Amino acid sequence: MASAAAGPLPRTERSSYFEDVEIGVPLETPAMTVTAAHVSLYAGVTGEVPAADPDGVPQLLALCLSSGLGWRVPRPPLVVLAFMGFDWKFHLPIRVGDTIRSRSHTASKRSLKEGGVVFEHRDIVNQRGEIVQSGRLTLLVAKRKPA
Amino acid sequence: MVFYAGVGAQVPLSFEDIKVGEEFISPGRTVTEMDVVLFAGLSGDYNVLHTDAEHMKSSQFGERIAHGLLVLSIQQGLLSRIAPELVEPPMAELAWKFRGPIKIGDTVHVVARVSDKRSAERAGWGLVTIARRVLNQRGEVVQEGESEHMVERRLG
Repeated sequence: MASAAAGPLPRTERSSYFEDVEIGVPLETPAMTVTAAHVSLYAGVTGEVPAADPDGVPQLLALCLSSGLGWRVPRPPLVVLAFMGFDWKFHLPIRVGDTIRSRSHTASKRSLKEGGVVFEHRDIVNQRGEIVQSGRLTLLVAKRKPA
Repeated sequence: MVFYAGVGAQVPLSFEDIKVGEEFISPGRTVTEMDVVLFAGLSGDYNVLHTDAEHMKSSQFGERIAHGLLVLSIQQGLLSRIAPELVEPPMAELAWKFRGPIKIGDTVHVVARVSDKRSAERAGWGLVTIARRVLNQRGEVVQEGESEHMVERRLG
């Protein structure tokens, strides 16, 4: 594509676009054990005053980890132009040593002039299969062809 | 009432002590390249938006932008420095909007206001809502949202 260099993101074949997003198809990420190292690094980056419980995992850290896990699904990476927002619920605490993964599906999507909005439902699940956090994320995703 | 402070002592606060309408303004923090690189490594989110400086030159932003969740996390850290007793109680819900990009070198601060409090279904607990806005050095709101916290009621 001649206009590729001017586009916001590389137009490689190994990408998923708005048109490729299928409603309701479940995606599951690999699992990851949350360690004390994650908690320490996160505390350093955020500067959050440490909680009284050293084995407690900050609630937002789990959401951050799920964003990285979200790329490790059996689908070419989605060309996300912007993360627009989310509505999130915290159901259960997460402890150091817990192993989390995320399960998601596209709840709905809406085409815009440039790109489209994808509403993703996501559950963060622990090693016992309990949903520890869940909610809806709103993503702006590129279209394969310019409108 | 406005508080500017460093790391304060954590005083346990009960539901009854929280005043609706009380406002807190955090210190500022400059978002650095190191923050973004560390956060990419920690979260595993290596989206080109945050990691490919050359590619981002041709984007609408002109350069790499910080992860929205990084700035959300920094915001939580900033608030914990001025009102730890307010943000420490666990969140039940968080609704958040990313309004604009945060570039490397931007300085953000948080304005938080207790917007509501009411009884929780669980006996002995209340729900406190905090409306939060993240502003950049030009006073533009780059992120905003509401967190709902479970706060213990005073016994007796």
